[in-house]
Amino acid sequence: MSSALLAKRLALLVGSVLMLMYVLGPVAWLLSSSLQREADITSIPPHWIPSPPTFSSFKAIIDAGTGAVSTDGNASFVPSTAEYLLPALRNSLIVASAVVVLNLLVSIPAAYAMAKIRYIGRDMSVYFMLATRVIPDIALIVPFFLFVRKLGLLDNLGALIITYLAITIPFSVFMLLSYFESLPDELDKAARVDGCSRVQALIKIFLPLAQPSLVAVILFTFLTSWNEFLFALMFTQTAASQTVPIIVASFTSDFTTSFSFINAAGVVAIVPPVIIAVVFERYIVSGLSAGAVKG
Amino acid sequence: MAQIEFLEVAKRYANGHVALQNLNLQIRDKEFLVLLGPSGCGKSTTLNMIAGLEEVTEGSLRFDSTAVNGLPAHKRDVAMVFQSYALYPHKSVYENIAFGLRMRKHPKNEIDTRVRSAARDLEIEHLLDRLPGQLSGGQRQRVALGRAMVRQPAVFLMDEPLSNLDATLRISMRASIKALHQSMQTTFVYVTHDQAEALTLADRIVVMRQGVVQQIGTPDDIYERPANTFVANFLGNPPINFIDGVVQDDGSEPCFRSGELSLAFDEQLRAELAGCAGKKVTIGIRAEDIDEDATYADCQLTGEITSLLPVGSDQFIGLQNGGRVMFFRVGKERSYRVGDRLSVSVNPRRMHIFDQASGVNLRANAS
Repeated sequence: MSSALLAKRLALLVGSVLMLMYVLGPVAWLLSSSLQREADITSIPPHWIPSPPTFSSFKAIIDAGTGAVSTDGNASFVPSTAEYLLPALRNSLIVASAVVVLNLLVSIPAAYAMAKIRYIGRDMSVYFMLATRVIPDIALIVPFFLFVRKLGLLDNLGALIITYLAITIPFSVFMLLSYFESLPDELDKAARVDGCSRVQALIKIFLPLAQPSLVAVILFTFLTSWNEFLFALMFTQTAASQTVPIIVASFTSDFTTSFSFINAAGVVAIVPPVIIAVVFERYIVSGLSAGAVKG
Repeated sequence: MAQIEFLEVAKRYANGHVALQNLNLQIRDKEFLVLLGPSGCGKSTTLNMIAGLEEVTEGSLRFDSTAVNGLPAHKRDVAMVFQSYALYPHKSVYENIAFGLRMRKHPKNEIDTRVRSAARDLEIEHLLDRLPGQLSGGQRQRVALGRAMVRQPAVFLMDEPLSNLDATLRISMRASIKALHQSMQTTFVYVTHDQAEALTLADRIVVMRQGVVQQIGTPDDIYERPANTFVANFLGNPPINFIDGVVQDDGSEPCFRSGELSLAFDEQLRAELAGCAGKKVTIGIRAEDIDEDATYADCQLTGEITSLLPVGSDQFIGLQNGGRVMFFRVGKERSYRVGDRLSVSVNPRRMHIFDQASGVNLRANAS
């Protein structure tokens, strides 16, 4: 191996390690500090390896959720809204799952129709749909709020599901549309001549082929719904509908902040997205690039 | 078994493009009909209409006297082979072939028998477990044929099925398709832009251009008696030679004249062109319709050889005459050199004479 090649590889390795440290550093600190006592977290220099590791913050989350410990007597260690964390996890899961399912139900047939059926106004509908994504979310807050209030859905999970569908469907349709368009029209025709109705052609031929794009859409939709903060802050007021980002953010609003508890809550909050990402990891890259080739 | 009838059928797209105009066509039961024309002539649209993949904008499309305009593709008893084969990439060869039968809910053992028998006929039995991506172009084509064959459809449609194959394979597949038609005894409609395919396979050919049928006839009709200059030009290799001129009739010997060139008419031509004196016409001479021995003394073309193109069995020569170069097919036995002067004669009976303005064949026996 020539020295130039060796130097190039070394530079790549160093670059990659630096990049990984930059990306994973905060996550590693989150994990590490969730297992430390409050005093250890704030000590200088910081301890990267907890000694000894403690699960007291995780236990506090469960205890607070089940009402086993009153938060009043232990305010410096457990935030006043701690009891809402587990219900918020449930809310987040319900919202994200519902958005994923409903999003697929709408975006799959929409993308198929736009890709394979020539109807009047087809191009217009694609541009119109994409144009909705050009508007920043914050500009939509007021109209969405009025809409949700009119429907009587304030402080209701339904408000979040409707809003998240509105912001995720256009991009999902666009991703699937690009993929369906890259599949030859003759495949659709062959399926129909072979005895498939339009719906059967979609289910039996196009969906199995679109698997990577579908996984990308599922991940995108789930993560967007799971992490969304702004709309959730506006449309929810009580534990009945508040999601994880809102509750975790509320942990900083007491007079004292418990870092170990917040970090443990952070770990709990990233577990579902991490599980989903790990399960579907091998599809993510191929899905995104598959849709991107013919955009 | 099906007879297909187009009555005054038109196809217009939403953007105003007219793909097909006033199509009247009857495809007979068990016939092998080829739709021939350049791209954009409406031949694939016509095929897609039969399949139910394109809606009929105007007129009536009938299968055995029953209008099927609104009948969706999956309810028509047709099978189709596509240019790109359109095999389902995620299904094995076996599943590809069986898919149409499964969709129509045939019993499992019957599906298995039919798939294996078709695979045997097409010599792809050993490929049944493979995915389409693992096959060569020729093998994929056979799978596509198998998928259509097992259905035993009333109408078998093919949209340029051989275009993606190399030349040798194309010729052997032509023979397979012809044999398939004979064994299946069903109506075949075949779309191509390849004249050789059309002439070899068809019982009848429909020549189309810009959505309008130019001529319907047997391969012989189309080649020997082209209805107009478009049809004459579309078939033939090398293409037919056209010469613009007038019918000259000075009272005794009517002939064709173009500048210095004069070609005499025989008795039959004179009769056919009676009353055409002074008319501007275009004559068409097929590359093979010349005589190197200059047998027809009054019908001679003389010029300089500008090119020689040997094509194995014979050779094409380019002959410059009066500012135009014409291509003729001659035997290999004689050796010519570029720059030689050569006189050839044309059998007047083999001349095609078209009206210069409309392009229509003026000879009375033209269909």
